[in-house]
Amino acid sequence: MEEVKTPGYYQNQNKMLSRVADSLYWMSRYMERTDGILRMLKVNYISSQDDFAEFSWEPVLKIFSFLDKEEINKIKRNTNEVIRFMVCEYENQNSIRNIVTKSRDNAKSVQDHITKEVWQCLNEYYHLVKELNLENSVLLEEPVSLLDNLIKQGMIYYGTLEVTMARGEGLYFMHIGKYLERAIQSIDILNVKFNDLSFDLESGNDSPYWNYLLYSISGYEQNLKTYRAGSQAQNTLHQIMFNENFPRSILYSLNRLMIYFGRLKSTTNKDYHKILFMLGRLHSKVQFSDLETLSETGLPAFLSALRGDLIKIGEALDMYYFSYSQ
Amino acid sequence: MSIKGPLFSEYSLTNDVYDEMFDKKSVRSPYSSLFHYINDISAMDLAKKEELAKKIFISQGITFTVYQSGEGIEKIFPFDLIPRIITASEWEFIEKGITQRLKALNLFLIDIYSDQFILKDGIIPIETIYSCPHYLREMQGMPVPHQIHIHISGIDLIRDTDGSFLVLEDNLRTPSGVSYMLENRGITKRILPDLLPRNNVRTVTNYPNSLYQNLVDISPRSSQPTIVLLTPGIFNSAYFEHSTLARLMGIELVEGRDLVVDDHKVYMKTTNGLKQVDVIYKRVDDEYLDPLVFNRASLLGVPGLLSAYRKGNVALVNAPGNGVADDKAIYVYVPDMIRYYLNEEPILKNVITYQLSILEEKEFVFANITNMVIKRTNASGGYGMLMGNSATEIEISAYKEQVNLDPRSFIAQPIINLSTSPCYIDEKIQPRRVDLRPFALYGPNGIEIVPGGLTRVALRKGSLVVNSSQGGGSKDTWVLSKSKQDA
Repeated sequence: MEEVKTPGYYQNQNKMLSRVADSLYWMSRYMERTDGILRMLKVNYISSQDDFAEFSWEPVLKIFSFLDKEEINKIKRNTNEVIRFMVCEYENQNSIRNIVTKSRDNAKSVQDHITKEVWQCLNEYYHLVKELNLENSVLLEEPVSLLDNLIKQGMIYYGTLEVTMARGEGLYFMHIGKYLERAIQSIDILNVKFNDLSFDLESGNDSPYWNYLLYSISGYEQNLKTYRAGSQAQNTLHQIMFNENFPRSILYSLNRLMIYFGRLKSTTNKDYHKILFMLGRLHSKVQFSDLETLSETGLPAFLSALRGDLIKIGEALDMYYFSYSQ
Repeated sequence: MSIKGPLFSEYSLTNDVYDEMFDKKSVRSPYSSLFHYINDISAMDLAKKEELAKKIFISQGITFTVYQSGEGIEKIFPFDLIPRIITASEWEFIEKGITQRLKALNLFLIDIYSDQFILKDGIIPIETIYSCPHYLREMQGMPVPHQIHIHISGIDLIRDTDGSFLVLEDNLRTPSGVSYMLENRGITKRILPDLLPRNNVRTVTNYPNSLYQNLVDISPRSSQPTIVLLTPGIFNSAYFEHSTLARLMGIELVEGRDLVVDDHKVYMKTTNGLKQVDVIYKRVDDEYLDPLVFNRASLLGVPGLLSAYRKGNVALVNAPGNGVADDKAIYVYVPDMIRYYLNEEPILKNVITYQLSILEEKEFVFANITNMVIKRTNASGGYGMLMGNSATEIEISAYKEQVNLDPRSFIAQPIINLSTSPCYIDEKIQPRRVDLRPFALYGPNGIEIVPGGLTRVALRKGSLVVNSSQGGGSKDTWVLSKSKQDA
C-alpha cells in the first residue's frame, strides 16, 4: 500500500537507541513477571487452604526465589510469611516490590518513549507496592484481596499500553519482552504444578487442583468449553502448552513472538536472521509436538529444553540489539 | 480596608519590603480577583487543594530522588498554590531588559572567544577573565553556528524595596526549572478552575515548540535533522526536567554512552546501527562533555565531541564556555558591556556588588559585614554563601580567612529585601520572600521570552534564600495579557 505523506510527515522507523530498546524490553518483562508471580501466589494460596495435607510452598520458593534449602524449609509451611516474602521483602530479588521497582526504573529512563499515561500507571503501581507494609498486617488475613488488587494494577497497565502506545519499534520490543517472559512463566507454572505430582501425567485427576490453576490464569471457562473429556491433568497441560487460542499458552506466546520479532525486519541489522532462525526453530518444535511426543521425551526434560532455548533467545537479543557498550 | 478573612488574619507586612499582593493595607488591583477567590474559600477546601496538588506531583512522578541507606526516597519540590502575578506593563519592561542584557552578553561571548576587544579597550581587566575557571581556552577561535552562544537562559530577577526589578544572577550554562514552570501551570489549571481565563493569564505552553524550532534552525544539515537531549542520566536531580523536555519536543533523550564520534561526526547507537546526530541540547556540564578535552575521568561525556563541533558537524546548545559570562565576578561588568557593545543604558539594573579582589571594597565590606551577603564567584545553588546578618562571629571570622586567601573568588552584595508574596503554609497565609526566573530563548530569528517563568520561594520564615537545594519551593507565575490593563 502506498504510504500517504504530508509535508511534515517524518518516518523514523526502526531506529531506536539500543539503550532505549533494552529498557523498554526489560520494563515489559518485569511487568509480565509481576503478573505471573502474583497469579502463581494466588493459585497456590488457594490450594494451600484446601485439604492437601502435603501442601508445601517449596516448589514456588525454589523457582521464584534465591533461597537455599535450609531457608526454604524454615518458611515453606508458613503461608503468611511466604506471601509477605514474595510480595514485599527487600532481600528477595524477585519480590513484587523489587520487580515493580525495576520495571518503573526502566520506564523512568525512557519516559520520552512511553506515553505519559503508561508512565503514570507504572509510577502509581510503584508507590502502591512501596507503601505496602505486610509486617503483622491485617492485609495478610485475606491475601486473595491483596493479590487481586495488585493483579488489577497490572491489568490497568496492559490496557493503558494497548490504548495509548504508538505502534512502532518501541512497542514491538515491549511485546517481545512480554511474550518471552510469559512463555517462561508458563513453563515455570507447569513445572511447579507437575512437580507436585512428580510429573506423572496419569495421576492427579483431582478436579479442584486443576480448577484453581485455571482460575488463576483466567483459563477455566475456556477449558470447560474446549476440553470435554479425558484426563484433566493432560487437558490442562495441553491448554497451557499447545492451545493457540489461550493467551497464556506457550505456543500462543511463541506465535506472538514470531509476529513482533518479524516486524523488526531490517536491511541493516544483519543479525536479525540469526535470531529469526532460533525463534523459528523453537516455534516449530512446539507447534509440531503433542502430548505423545511430550511423554516420549519426558515432561521435565521437554520443559527444561524449552526454557533453555528461550533464555538463549534473550541472550541473543541482548547481544545483537541491546549491546550499546562497545 | 479590613476585608481579610481568617486565612489572612496573620498576614503582616514588613517595613521596607515590597509585597506582591498588598500595597500597605489594600490589595493591589491585579490581584483583586485572586485575593477574593482565596479569601472566600474555606480553610478546609484550601487544605484539600494543597493535598490534591501534592498527590498529582507524586503520581505523575514529578519528583527527585534522595538516596538514604540504599533506598530511594521520592521527594517533590514544594509547590505553593497561590500564584504570583506580573502585570502586562511590568512584563514589557522585563522583556525589554532581558533582551537587551542577553544581546550584550552574547556579543561579549563572541568577543571574548575571538578578538577580545573589550579587554584591549580596558573595559574588563584581563585577570578577571583568565582567572575564571569557566573560561574555556578550547573555545578560543571556535566557529559557533549563527554566532549564538546563549540559546537558553534563565535570568534571576528580584524586587527591591520600591518594587523595581533588579538582576540578581545570569544563568547562561544549563539553567533548570522550566519544566516546573510548565508543571506548575498544569496544576493551577486543575486546582484553581476558571481563574486563569478570568484573569487573562498568558499561556506558557508554547515553550517546547519554540525551543524545538530553534534547535531545528541551527542544525548543520537542513533536512530532517536528528536532535537529541544529552542527560547525565536518571540519578541527576534534574532528570525529570530532561525527560519532560525530550518528550514535549519529541526528541531523543540520550546519555553519553549512547553517542559515539567517528570521523568528526556524532552518531547515536540504535537497534539498526549508527545514526548521525545534528543538534545536541546538552544538560551535562562543560567539564564532563568530552573526556579527550576536559575531565578525563568523565563517563558522562562523548570522546571527540568537541572536535566534531569544531568541524561544524554538530551544533551544541548552549555553546560550551558560557560560564565566563555568568561568573559572579563578571556580573559586575554587565552594565558596562551593555554600554560598550550596544551603546545603550541598561534597562534592568544590577544589584550593587563589591569585588573583594579590590582592597578598598573588601575593607568596606568587612566593616559592614552584618549588612552583606558574600558569595563565591564560581558557585551557584546557594552553596558557599555567608549571610552577614545571621552568621555567628565564628562563622564570619572563618569566612573572612577564606576570602583573604583568594579574594578573586568572592563578591559581596548588600542584603536585599526580596519582595514577599502570600504563601499557604501551616494552614495560614503567610508572607515569604520570592524571586523570578524568566526563561529566554535565543534563536536565529531573535530572542523570545516565554510570558511566565519560575517564581521561587524561600519557604523558611525570614529566609532570603530561594534555591531549591536550600529548602526553596516554587509558585505558578501569571503574566497578564495587555487586554486586562493593569492599574
